[in-house]
Amino acid sequence: MRAGQIYLIIAIVLFGISFLKDKQRSKEALKATFKIFYVVLPVLVFVFVLMGLIEAYVSRETIVSILGQKSGILGILYAEIVGCIALFLPPAVFPFGGYLLKNGASYGSIAGFVFTAILIGVTTLPLEFKLLGKRFTVFRNIFTFVLAFFIALLMEVILG
Amino acid sequence: MKKLLKNDAFQFLSLSILIILVVYGLNAAKGMIVARAVYVTFIEVLDIVVAVSIFIGLFQVWVKPPTIVKWLGKGSGLKGFILVCTFPILMGGSLFTVFPLLKTLREKGARPGAIASFITAWGGKAPLLPLETKFLGWPFALVRLGFVIIFAFLMGILMDWVGEKPAKL
Repeated sequence: MRAGQIYLIIAIVLFGISFLKDKQRSKEALKATFKIFYVVLPVLVFVFVLMGLIEAYVSRETIVSILGQKSGILGILYAEIVGCIALFLPPAVFPFGGYLLKNGASYGSIAGFVFTAILIGVTTLPLEFKLLGKRFTVFRNIFTFVLAFFIALLMEVILG
Repeated sequence: MKKLLKNDAFQFLSLSILIILVVYGLNAAKGMIVARAVYVTFIEVLDIVVAVSIFIGLFQVWVKPPTIVKWLGKGSGLKGFILVCTFPILMGGSLFTVFPLLKTLREKGARPGAIASFITAWGGKAPLLPLETKFLGWPFALVRLGFVIIFAFLMGILMDWVGEKPAKL
């Protein structure tokens, strides 16, 4: 059985338990599920198109030279910058990362990309600014970028 | 019609189709590569995405923001700090949904370090493990998850270190 089917069965069982415990809440959960699916799926399709474009137009050698093991520290930095400006929803981060990995990017680069893609968003900066303050926003994003770099480096050492 | 054009889902899907058509028009072979990549990946992830959406939907109704705020409190003390560095790993959502919750936490008196730890731990994204392991493998996912907790701890320490000083920026 494929992993996806197993997850689906687990999800359905959990939903069944939830339904037995509280019907009203489970209806809400179903609504939330549809909403998430509806928001995430089009973004995923769009990211798959980007992956297809890379496959069609960018050679493996190019990816290896920018994000591969030999590009080392710079590769991680490039990947982090891409992560910062990528407008991905978190669920789209992993397929894209996996795609780059398959095509020669290093584990360190992928880790840098994943961290900044999830934790730093150019599009969410104004909201963070407004809700959590200027000082907090500036320091949090700087520290996140720097720590993500060192952790990515460690992950490259461990997994690479 | 206007409403449809402003709809995010519609925009992403129509832009996707447009790109495929343009590429196909320029070079049919390359267009097929793109279309095939989209189709193959889509089929591969569809059941995972459905499962993940159910997980996150269930989590959202069973663990509501007021509950989270109550559990985490100010995120102070060692127990609070550990909780704030680990619990958010279980949550779904994007930064857009997390920031408003954090504002509430902050208003309840959570320190900047606790808020920063929360965001970082939230980046652990356990609900997305099915996707992460599928595309990046279990070793990557587990090592990353371990580092997320360390990352969250360090962020908390660093942000508390700079956070309390008067704003000069």
